[in-house]
Amino acid sequence: MLRVYRSVLTLYPAAYRRVYAEEMLAVLAEIEFDAAEQRGWSKFARRVRETSGLLAGAATEHTRQCLGYTGASIFLPGRTRMRSEFRFPKATAVLMTVVLVAVLMAIEKAKAISASIPPNSTPVGPIQPEHFSTVTTFLVILALALSAAAIGWLVTFALRRSGVQRFSAVHPGKPTV
Amino acid sequence: MTDSPSLSEPVLLILLSLVERPRHGYAILQDIQGMSEGRVRLSTGTLYGALARLLEDGWIERFQSEDSSRGKQAYRLTAIGRRSLQAEVSRLKQLTRVAGLRVARKES
Repeated sequence: MLRVYRSVLTLYPAAYRRVYAEEMLAVLAEIEFDAAEQRGWSKFARRVRETSGLLAGAATEHTRQCLGYTGASIFLPGRTRMRSEFRFPKATAVLMTVVLVAVLMAIEKAKAISASIPPNSTPVGPIQPEHFSTVTTFLVILALALSAAAIGWLVTFALRRSGVQRFSAVHPGKPTV
Repeated sequence: MTDSPSLSEPVLLILLSLVERPRHGYAILQDIQGMSEGRVRLSTGTLYGALARLLEDGWIERFQSEDSSRGKQAYRLTAIGRRSLQAEVSRLKQLTRVAGLRVARKES
């Protein structure tokens, strides 16, 4: 199971991995060791909780890195009851987790395809101009740019809807009552 | 009232765990589970996400634990973190007091 956790940890941004990955793995190893007697549903539920926590964490860190977002942890599943000002559509968290799983699966599939190709097969390319006209190139770039803009807008919209607050917005010196 | 956002439950529990003494990651998870009588079980991803935010905002600090043979990284509250926790506890006390009064008034 630690191999699975290790592979999920590779989804985190490199800077985050350098600081926390080994420590997180050590904690996960301790959890696995202490729960060695666990069987059945509780074992399954624990592993799903840990894996989904890591996936959600990776999505959060990438979002923060891409958008420069420095707010509080936004993927705190089911534990937001005390945060009256916190609004994050659960569907967005689920969607981002699904996208991450799909990316992970695509990477694994690509590795499998790459391994199945015999080493002596003729390499593909380079792409010649007759294969790829200027109009096609323009259309592909336009489609990619529009997709990137749509995804960016969706993520920004979801974060804006969430109403998340920065920790730094809290004024610890000021009494709250 | 205040414009300060209230803390999420995991963050509050992490701060409560560290207010007693410095702890490393696994000890924090175990303490939170014990403190909440098994109701809250944070995943490792959630714990470290929250720890990273708290470190960035200077509420906690990370150091090499001396009492561990494996040289684990441990976490402890800073003065800012302690003040923030005190403010949050005051807020919760006030909320609980108002809730108690209103429920009692309704029942009488």
